[in-house]
Amino acid sequence: MRWPYVLHVVGILLIFFGFSMICPLAVGFYYADSSIVPMALSMGITIVGGLLLYAIFRGTKSEIVTQREGMAIVALGWTGVGFFGALPFYLGGEVSSFANAFFESVSGVTTTGSSVIQDIESISRGLLFWRSFIQWLGGMGIIVLSVAILPFLGVGGMQLYKAEVPSPVPDKLKPRIRDTAMVLWKVYALISTAQVFFLLLGGMDLFNALCHTFTTMPTGGFSTRNASIAGFDSLYLDMVILFFMILAGINFSLHYQALQGKPLAFWRDSECRFFIGLTLLLVLIVSLDTFGVVYEDIGRSFRYGAFQVVSILTTTGYATADYEQWPAMTHLILFFCMFIGASAGSTGGGMKCLRVMLYLKYCYKELFSLIHPHAVKQIKIGRKPVPDDVMRSVLGFLGLYIGLFALCTILLSSMGVDFVTSISAVAATMGNIGPGFGSVGPTENFVHIPYLGKWLLSWCMLLGRLEIYTIVILLVPEFWRK
Amino acid sequence: MKVIIVGAGEVGFHIASRLVVENKDVVIVDKNPEAIRRVSENIDVQVVSGSGSSPAVLMEAGIKEAEILLAVTDSDEVNLIACLVANILSPATKKLSRLRDADYDAYHKIFRDQPPYIDTVINPEIEVVKTIDRLMSVPGAVDVWEFADGRVKFIGIYLDPGSRLAGVRLSDLTNLIGDRRPLIAAIIREEELIIPRGSNRLMPGDLLYFISEQERVQDILEAFDKHPEPLRRALIIGGGRIGYRLAMRLEEKSIYTKIIEKKPERCAFLAGKMNKAIVLCGDGSDQTLLDEENIRDMDFVITLTADEETNILTSLLARRMGARKTITKIDKFSYFPLMTAIGLEQVVSPRLSAINTILQHIRRGKVLSAISLKGEQAEVMEAVALETADIVGKPLRNISFPKGSLVTGIIRQDRVIIPSGDSIIEPGDRIIIFAVRDAIPKIEKILAVKLEYF
Repeated sequence: MRWPYVLHVVGILLIFFGFSMICPLAVGFYYADSSIVPMALSMGITIVGGLLLYAIFRGTKSEIVTQREGMAIVALGWTGVGFFGALPFYLGGEVSSFANAFFESVSGVTTTGSSVIQDIESISRGLLFWRSFIQWLGGMGIIVLSVAILPFLGVGGMQLYKAEVPSPVPDKLKPRIRDTAMVLWKVYALISTAQVFFLLLGGMDLFNALCHTFTTMPTGGFSTRNASIAGFDSLYLDMVILFFMILAGINFSLHYQALQGKPLAFWRDSECRFFIGLTLLLVLIVSLDTFGVVYEDIGRSFRYGAFQVVSILTTTGYATADYEQWPAMTHLILFFCMFIGASAGSTGGGMKCLRVMLYLKYCYKELFSLIHPHAVKQIKIGRKPVPDDVMRSVLGFLGLYIGLFALCTILLSSMGVDFVTSISAVAATMGNIGPGFGSVGPTENFVHIPYLGKWLLSWCMLLGRLEIYTIVILLVPEFWRK
Repeated sequence: MKVIIVGAGEVGFHIASRLVVENKDVVIVDKNPEAIRRVSENIDVQVVSGSGSSPAVLMEAGIKEAEILLAVTDSDEVNLIACLVANILSPATKKLSRLRDADYDAYHKIFRDQPPYIDTVINPEIEVVKTIDRLMSVPGAVDVWEFADGRVKFIGIYLDPGSRLAGVRLSDLTNLIGDRRPLIAAIIREEELIIPRGSNRLMPGDLLYFISEQERVQDILEAFDKHPEPLRRALIIGGGRIGYRLAMRLEEKSIYTKIIEKKPERCAFLAGKMNKAIVLCGDGSDQTLLDEENIRDMDFVITLTADEETNILTSLLARRMGARKTITKIDKFSYFPLMTAIGLEQVVSPRLSAINTILQHIRRGKVLSAISLKGEQAEVMEAVALETADIVGKPLRNISFPKGSLVTGIIRQDRVIIPSGDSIIEPGDRIIIFAVRDAIPKIEKILAVKLEYF
């Protein structure tokens, strides 16, 4: 592996990331608030840092990027982005320690939405915008964006793309990776524009509409209000956000097909059917479960139940109600939603519906072959058989996911965090959801988690966003061997 | 431009990786998951898994928008059916197909004029035999290509370590060999391609590519100490389809030919077809047999068995036992860089031949033929200069050619002009352009301005 080349490319990514800080800087100037100085300073540091990496390690030009190098670039790139993205929070003095700033920043770019900021409304507008903006960048993927608009990533872009978007069944919308990345970002930007429009219609001001779109579309979950979406208390806004959360949880290649004039694509895709079906079923159960116990009328229990199920299942993490007050069964349903997550190829996190679906089919196949020992049965998605190696990688993924979840839970509890909080904090960060249960519930935040615990959870978020393998591979000694 | 390639084998894979560099949209169809994975992990193309002869699969690959369909699977039948289906689904798509069976030889034209309307049928074996023939006819050459119906040759030779030209500056070449000085288009030194200027020196061991009119080739070769040697006796090892075709061709030229073939049935078949050539049944790597058949007197030993490792070793053995020259058939591209190192300079590959033939049909504009040099770093193209092209009507030095490209020849009616900075290209001239890979898309653009003329 050529480390100089890896660092060279990471440098390019950082320069690019640095320039994106121009957006929050503009917002800061518009409101003339206290974010201008830290923002400008961070931008300078990031660009200089990127330039240094770029310049020191230049000269190693190559057309081919190996899979290993691709993974190293993406893993380091995201860590770097998390690090430099933390600078505005740290320099602005809005958070106390660098661990907190890093946590907030990683929570942003990985579209998790867990926060360590206690009084969000007291923060300057520029920084609030930055907080939302990094979620939007991270949602469709920083690497995907770079592949789309930076021509010099060229052929190597493919390995990077695969390391950032490790879908179980790869689909390439266009023959060239650069065009595919471009199309995905265009679709993403288009749907985002639509959401801003509908939020404005509901009477939200432009700043809030932008910030909330930037955190809905990537299924992020940062809000500009302490009470999250509940702070607006509007049925219309709830429904608009609910609808766009569902859109964000669907595979973007289906959106592309729909925009191409094939709206039936949603129905033809079995994962999409599974996702929508599961959402409807869980909404029904949760609404009925809360009806009469928490809410007196069915309309309200449906409104809050539906929003919360969709918010957790798509791994957004907005709140319109304190679901901790809800019955135990609802708790458990929401907890398991954290693991299932949204569709593959969407901006959502978790294990992804496709993998869960394949796993269920695999279980059924095992049972089936106990009954008919001689039967030849193939697992299919839609009407296409799934190759064995894809199935194996899905099983491996689920195993690793659960294993790492268990490990991190134990590590976190060893730092003195209680049982429920440990479990839900790890589940909520690995699944890129945001709030959990216990002392990290929807009305609380992560500020009280011990110092080391925050680094651990930040790592969990990266783990979840890059779908385990890209990050975990860095821990395998074989990876470092020459 | 969208290109669909049916068959992700060695040929499909390499054409795809070439086209991707040139910014074409490539979709590859193959039913072997292993081959599909190799492609999708290594090159930036879209892959479709399924049989290329299936209409549904071709539709999924987007045959309707495709400009070109390349059918290059190992099976002639699949290739033919893929073209047939493509012809039904999308008649406008240009179709190229690889057909290897000699039974189809007589039908190439018929396939072009009647359904499935295959625009170009490629038989790599015929191409390989042509290549071998060219290599045998130019002494000392490791690469020979013909342009303008054979009137212009593009030749690659190694500069011998003892040559008096070693160490000489290109600009001083005229003093040493006078007007026999050729236009040197490229030098390959230690696997790196150099576009030479006057100040560059020739080094021993360099692979030089030069262009010349047919009549001057001999003179130039003599200047480089490559003297013609009589070609009277040839030994072919491996009597497969290529061996058979080659033997027929050598027989026509009255060269005393022997073929060694392992399988008795195949020997019987060959013996039935041959008139003068001697068919020997045995193992080509058998030292006693080679000795018996006077290998030390052979002018050429051509190893053409299906197993490339055997070919390499047999060639080395033949060389050691005194054969003057060997030509080796290899298909695995990863072996090419090794060949010079182990002393086998003259190498042919059916797959490379197929790729070259296909490339010249994919090139835009009026490119008449295109070949690619060793290591695939550069191409030589022959093209017609159109009245509308930017390159016409002004001295070459005023034209901004892309970096790494060179006009190496102008053919005007029957005359061949080796150009200088003052030469002017006239409409209708055929020009021979040498270009490194990065410059190719730009060259294509220069040649193909105003597409509506085609």
